[in-house]
Amino acid sequence: MGIRSFLHRLTAPKTYHPYSGGDVKTVFLVNHSLKMGKGKIAAQVGHASVGVVLNAGQTHPAELEAWLAQGQKKVCLKCDTLEQMELYVGQANSKGIHTHVVKDAGHTQIPRGSTTVAAIGPCAGDVLDTITGELKLL
Amino acid sequence: MSILDDAPYMMLIVRRDAKMSAGKISVQCAHAAVECALACKKTSPRLFERWRNQGAKKICVFAEDLKELMGLQDEANHAHLTTHVVKDAGKTELAPGTVTVLGIGPATYQTMTRITSHLPLV
Repeated sequence: MGIRSFLHRLTAPKTYHPYSGGDVKTVFLVNHSLKMGKGKIAAQVGHASVGVVLNAGQTHPAELEAWLAQGQKKVCLKCDTLEQMELYVGQANSKGIHTHVVKDAGHTQIPRGSTTVAAIGPCAGDVLDTITGELKLL
Repeated sequence: MSILDDAPYMMLIVRRDAKMSAGKISVQCAHAAVECALACKKTSPRLFERWRNQGAKKICVFAEDLKELMGLQDEANHAHLTTHVVKDAGKTELAPGTVTVLGIGPATYQTMTRITSHLPLV
């Protein structure tokens, strides 16, 4: 191998197979036990989705690209307790799905460090339904 | 005044007359936040980094109707801020193409208060 192709192999972005599944979506689990206001929830979900967009590309580039191309389908679901939320996040992690958990800085409404929202995905819709299908819409 | 009070923030302005549920509002705000963040990352990367490092502040407020929302967008564009208008795809609750949320920023406190300080919190 020549020096140039060697350098290229080190510095070029990793190649990946384009996503070939169907509908891609991201679900947001909102911790309902914190009794946040509507606006607070909206801002927290905003944090989560920006986090997903900026971080998922490192581990799940194909899903992220497909999700952005399909119009970023987002669904908000409510969890009654933090334990329930962690259970779902754990299940998603064990299946290799990208997750992003938001902890609040505690400037308004709730104590510092509370887990407010967890994002699961982007991932194929039918796979997500097997994990979070029983949860209610917010 | 702590350093966080001076941190850049993003305003997510929700149309009150669209009468959306809490979940719908959250999702629409998330759309706006993502688009604004990506646009700002391209156009002013330093401001974007500062915003992220200082907590990626986001504030949700109400505007009464579409006219007020568009007026705010004009003002923000005039001040050279990043803006994004979210139009709903119309799969649930609303008709396709309904304007739901306007995202402005991230921008510094001084610039933003001039445009949005009179709006009520969601």
